[in-house]
Amino acid sequence: MTFQTQRVAYPYFVVALLLFALQVVMGLWVGLQYVITVPQAVVDVFPFATSRAMHTNLLVLWMLLGFMGATFYLVPEEAQTELAWPRLAIFQLVLLVGTGVAALVGFLFGWTQGRPLLEIPTTLDFLVVAGALLFLANVGVTLLRARRWNVLQGALLGGLVFLALMYLFGMPFYRNLAMDWYYWWWVVHLWVEGAWELITAAMAAFMLIKLTGVDRKVVEKWLYVELGLFLFTGIAGTGHHYYWLGAPNAWLWIGGAFSALEPFPILLMLWDTWRSAREHDRPHAPRLTWLYVGAMAVLHFVGAGLFGFAHTLPQINYYTHGSQVTVSHGHLAFFGAYALLNLSFFYFAIPRLKGLPDGRYDERAGRWGFWLQTLGIVGMSLAFAVAGVLQTYLERIRGEPYMVAQQPMRFWMLIVVLHGLMVVAGVFLTVKHLLTLRPELTAVESAEPGAPARAIAAGAGSR
Amino acid sequence: MSERMAKAIFWLGTLSSLAVFLAMTVHTHRSFGALTHADALDEKVVAGKRAFERHNCNDCHTILGFGAYYAPDLTRAYARLGEDAVRRRLEAPEVVFADSYRKMPQQHLSPAEVEDLVAFLRWVSGIENHDWPPQDSPNRWRRSTERVLASASLSPAAALVQQENCLACHSIGGTGGTAGPRFEWIGGRRDVAWIARYVADPEAVSHGSRMPGFPHLSEGQRLMIGEFVVSLTADRSTP
Repeated sequence: MTFQTQRVAYPYFVVALLLFALQVVMGLWVGLQYVITVPQAVVDVFPFATSRAMHTNLLVLWMLLGFMGATFYLVPEEAQTELAWPRLAIFQLVLLVGTGVAALVGFLFGWTQGRPLLEIPTTLDFLVVAGALLFLANVGVTLLRARRWNVLQGALLGGLVFLALMYLFGMPFYRNLAMDWYYWWWVVHLWVEGAWELITAAMAAFMLIKLTGVDRKVVEKWLYVELGLFLFTGIAGTGHHYYWLGAPNAWLWIGGAFSALEPFPILLMLWDTWRSAREHDRPHAPRLTWLYVGAMAVLHFVGAGLFGFAHTLPQINYYTHGSQVTVSHGHLAFFGAYALLNLSFFYFAIPRLKGLPDGRYDERAGRWGFWLQTLGIVGMSLAFAVAGVLQTYLERIRGEPYMVAQQPMRFWMLIVVLHGLMVVAGVFLTVKHLLTLRPELTAVESAEPGAPARAIAAGAGSR
Repeated sequence: MSERMAKAIFWLGTLSSLAVFLAMTVHTHRSFGALTHADALDEKVVAGKRAFERHNCNDCHTILGFGAYYAPDLTRAYARLGEDAVRRRLEAPEVVFADSYRKMPQQHLSPAEVEDLVAFLRWVSGIENHDWPPQDSPNRWRRSTERVLASASLSPAAALVQQENCLACHSIGGTGGTAGPRFEWIGGRRDVAWIARYVADPEAVSHGSRMPGFPHLSEGQRLMIGEFVVSLTADRSTP
């Protein structure tokens, strides 16, 4: 950390982490409702719909706050200047968190726009837009004043403006259901396979440059190619959501062709990360940060690229659309691409914000957190996939009624919940670890026999 | 690769994809009117859509395959269940799903809301979306009918169904009424004994059911009807 105003990122990270913990706890309850029979009296006051709305909105909120915090950390260093209005950044956080809490409490009382992922009522939507405008103004003015443009800043700012613009398409009431879903995807798809990918590419490039010291010119050149491929496949690839909503036939061809290419930019990003990591001139330390960066590159490709590709062609999607196959892809892609991106960035930035030398920290508890949540999510996604294939076969191909086909899926939903327990444990450990990062043991200390025990004792003493 | 070329890839990729996307958006807007039967989209349907959103139905159900995956897809619910069964699920879910391992919340809908939702689902069921979802494909129902018709003339149960006028409310394949659920769907969910019990006294099995009882039929005749309905279980081959 070189600029004082980068500090405003930290409260964003803290809130994002707490919301992440809440999201996975709610996820456990969402999953459990597939396994057990919830009594009618409970369903009447706290239905599945409400818990699902909370699970997904918490996801969106914590990830956006993570991106915003990361932007506030990254922008001063890239533009070589202090942030324009650091106090405004804190006000914006309070505004957005207040809006988020109001929305979550509102859901409990049935205050909702009633459209999946966009449940936040229109009144609160205006507050979200206000928060987004403050954010863009703050970042925009900082970058404009500095006038040190590069592709990394361009990708980040472009992605953020793109993100804010698309949100507007989710706000009006549409009379026609098909039209409603057509524009719903302008928000959801063009976020996760457009705007968010731009932000991801910028954040990942920034981390790679800082962690490895690879040649900036090379990273920036590949960034252009990655972004070009992301947008080429991603924009028209929105068509893979338009197969079955009453849109014209041509979408089957366009959606199928463009989205079949969607894994390529992610593969390029994976290769880019691997090349930078191999070529760089310093040791891979701290190992945990590298573990996160590597897992992000791999699971982004597997979850978003491969799992997405698996059912993106219309011939397959006809049978898998709207089944647990979608759920499997959704969980692995969101975790692999965006949860791990945010967590990587937190592990990169928090030690620097805390002034730990060279960004090193004591990694031990964090490793458990990493493996528990990562293996948990991978196992969970595989269990969802089995349930989804069962559903596809029983309901879609054999034509069994919905609830009859759900019966044999229950076992696999139990497996999902068991992995969910692992995820919750992993996330709690990770959140606690990130919020209480401690300096690393010195090399001399850890080289001595018996040093760890003494270090722990010393750590306990200093508390 | 030079930086110039990298920049060219970026702009070419982005702008070409955007051009395709925007052109298709115009094309889609022009086609929606016919494909979604927008002429039938009246204020009642819109009111139904508002009720659908007000009660957050879409965070349990999918519709057009979008939403949550916790409850059945509603795209063709109207065609699959019939109007009365849809209404009953909206009015008294705690009765309809009393023996189900997954419940639907009692939302205390007003009679007007129920009618609006029925109108909404009726309109949605007519959207032309390349015959999705496969499990509710009319092709599949039609093939079931053909199979039944091939053997119906020999079946005493089919004659009984005809005599008791079941098809005034229920349907088989493409024919029959739309007040009650289609026979193929019932056949997939229920067993012979359950159907026989229901035919004798629907009220006793599901409180508030609108179906009349058929107590004048003998136990054997009722079981025969049950066997007939179960034998209709939707065609298992691909649509």
